[in-house]
Amino acid sequence: MADPTAEFFARVEQRGPDLLPTKARGTLRFDLRRDGEVDHWFVAINRGNVLVSHELRDADCVVATDKALFDRCALGEAQVVAAYNRNDVTVQGNLPLLLMFRRAFPSPPGTRDPRERIRERFAGRGRERERERQR
Amino acid sequence: MKELLGILDGNTFMLSDSRGDVDPSPDYPAGLFAWDTRFLSKWVLTIDGERLHALSTDDLQYFESRFFLVPGEPTHYVDAKTSVIRHRSLGGAFEERLTVLNHRDEPVVLTLRMEIDSDFADVFDAREARSLPGRAAKFVEPGRLRLCHQRDRHVSETIVTSTEPAEFDTDGLTFRIELDAHANWSTTIRAIGTIQGAGGRDVRENLHGYEQVRPEKQRELREWLGRAPKLTCDSETLEDAYRRSLIDLAALQYTGLTSQVRLLATGLPWYMTVFGRHSLITGFQTLPFMPEIARNALWVLALLQGGRIDDFRDEEPGKILHEIRYGEPGGFEDTPYTTYYGTADATPLFVVLLDEYERWTGDADTVRLMEYEARSALRWLDTYGNLMDDGYVWYECRSPGGLENQGWKDSWNAISYSDGRLPGKPRASCELQGYAYDAKMRAARLARRFWNDPAYADQLEREAADLRTRFNRDFWMPDRGYYALALDAEGGQVDALASNMGHLLWSGIVEESRAGQVADHLLSRPLFSGWGVRTLADDQAWYNPIGYHTGAIWPWDNSIIALGLRRYGFAEQAARLAVTMVEASRYFGGRMPEAFAGYDRRLTKYPVQYPRACSPHCSSAGTPLMLLRTLLGLRPHHDHLTIDPAIPEALGRIELIGIPGRWGRTDAFGRGRVSLDPE
Repeated sequence: MADPTAEFFARVEQRGPDLLPTKARGTLRFDLRRDGEVDHWFVAINRGNVLVSHELRDADCVVATDKALFDRCALGEAQVVAAYNRNDVTVQGNLPLLLMFRRAFPSPPGTRDPRERIRERFAGRGRERERERQR
Repeated sequence: MKELLGILDGNTFMLSDSRGDVDPSPDYPAGLFAWDTRFLSKWVLTIDGERLHALSTDDLQYFESRFFLVPGEPTHYVDAKTSVIRHRSLGGAFEERLTVLNHRDEPVVLTLRMEIDSDFADVFDAREARSLPGRAAKFVEPGRLRLCHQRDRHVSETIVTSTEPAEFDTDGLTFRIELDAHANWSTTIRAIGTIQGAGGRDVRENLHGYEQVRPEKQRELREWLGRAPKLTCDSETLEDAYRRSLIDLAALQYTGLTSQVRLLATGLPWYMTVFGRHSLITGFQTLPFMPEIARNALWVLALLQGGRIDDFRDEEPGKILHEIRYGEPGGFEDTPYTTYYGTADATPLFVVLLDEYERWTGDADTVRLMEYEARSALRWLDTYGNLMDDGYVWYECRSPGGLENQGWKDSWNAISYSDGRLPGKPRASCELQGYAYDAKMRAARLARRFWNDPAYADQLEREAADLRTRFNRDFWMPDRGYYALALDAEGGQVDALASNMGHLLWSGIVEESRAGQVADHLLSRPLFSGWGVRTLADDQAWYNPIGYHTGAIWPWDNSIIALGLRRYGFAEQAARLAVTMVEASRYFGGRMPEAFAGYDRRLTKYPVQYPRACSPHCSSAGTPLMLLRTLLGLRPHHDHLTIDPAIPEALGRIELIGIPGRWGRTDAFGRGRVSLDPE
């Protein structure tokens, strides 16, 4: 069965430099609870490059939540800051690091680029107008 | 409206009636609030079952006040056999020192009671008296009363304790006190609000500044005032407004959960949290005085910059945040406001402030550190901001709980045609185009000097020049002699006469040949009330002198316009605006509210209060500072400060000593030489 969390971390490891500011640097550990056990995801960020492992190591920022909720974050269905505000996610240490890492989470499923919707509604009228004016 | 008295400390505040009591009230959010949550909704003191009334109240500091009270209803005859002093302060916790004085020549036994409750409402729920989902409980525990509200894992608590022994019950605490003749008795009641976070502990526990003690706060305020440039001038009103502003800017700062820097709460009571736009504007206004406000604003907004497309939050990559809310409704996604991005102006203003910040401070490290965020913001202007693919910045709300209009005038009816029709969406309001132009011009400088990317600088300058040309073609209405307020979805001009075009002067997008017409409109009757520039001219369909964005006068709007007027050489007009603003401030005790009513000055003789206006408000507090900059003509130029005063005779001499910047500290002097026709 697909594991959204594992896929998410694999993607972040691959695409880190596209998703995170180049100055980003630090370590996060995600402690994800499921069936009475805790999975650890250790994320080391250095100049936007990301390395992920399962080590149980000290990190600048330790984030604890349920695996089920993190799966939803990994799919874009849940948002980590709101989850933090309702105390479904707890954070120890450097919270700004998690806020920076927030950029790596995807959009909610089915999200479309708002420009596409506008293009459909107006069928490129902006461009047309611009061309007309230049004539 | 009943007058409420408040003390505040960052995003924590206590609003009560003149007796110091908090009764549930539908029309105003009375009580103790912190982090957008009400921790006390009832706080009523009685002696022998009788309510008290106030003989006097003292605002000691912004975080401290004192009430002198006697039992009974106010009558001409005051039975002063007992009196009570309530001395309250905020510094993490809310503390109230109660002192009861017996004026009799004999002993007395009194029952003193504090009725206590909390509804843990969000500040807007408090206004609308909605009840919260979740469970409430009250616990009487040894030596304390604990009020709780729980929704899933989210737990808010108020814990009340007393230094003197009290009888606690679920609705409050009671003291039975025996006082000798002419004796007095005291206790300190303490209420602390917590929201449980990491590991079941209070989320704020690790933060610096929490549980700060009063002497510490007093010392901090003294230091803050000591760091600010010293103002001496002939106008006492201006001096008062300056001092009041500095204190209010200190009062509104708090240490955020998310950032560990000092953030600026926006306005009491509705906006006691960070708003992207107002943090940026206030940062800009205060640069010659307190550059750390700008630095902190840039820091937190960079951290929270949009990272993904999220329709619920009107978020897109690169977009700068509209507001943060800490309350429970955002956490449970009843509202999108935990981190909400529905504003199109904060993104260009972020770039504008970054450049302006470096010009004043010479802090090149910050500019280099924020290259990524600044480039992302600039990219947003050309992509998600450029919704109609025609090179202008547009907005359209996608969030079900979001804002219809996403410029600073975000009321639903703020962007209208002259005849009252509302344009279709998306909309491109004019000031957004000015900000985008300015952002590109300024970013070109940053790219060339600090990012080592001259090609990008050239590109930005070409784009800015092109934007300016097109803007002056598409927004200008030659028959009216002013710029359209916006473009509608069809590209048509939205023709209402509004203050927005004053911002165009500030941004520099106005063609020189048209600036005179714009200045004339801003300073003549339909727009100018005699106290300031109205948000909307009084001959427009939606005009209402107490319309929030449709007729009221906003001090910060005027401060931007005044600086814009000076940029285009209209020193006299800028001076007039500065004088009327300073005159208006006198009627508000030196504290400019968020907005005041747009009635004609000839009609009212004094500026009329806007009902429910925030006060203090960070950008209104920033206004006297920006006016000083405008009047003195302060401009950073390479490594020194140029001074070009244009001060009206009415304000006389102005001296500003110790202006911080890349030059260290320097002084500016100016004499009132600009003569203005009497208003």
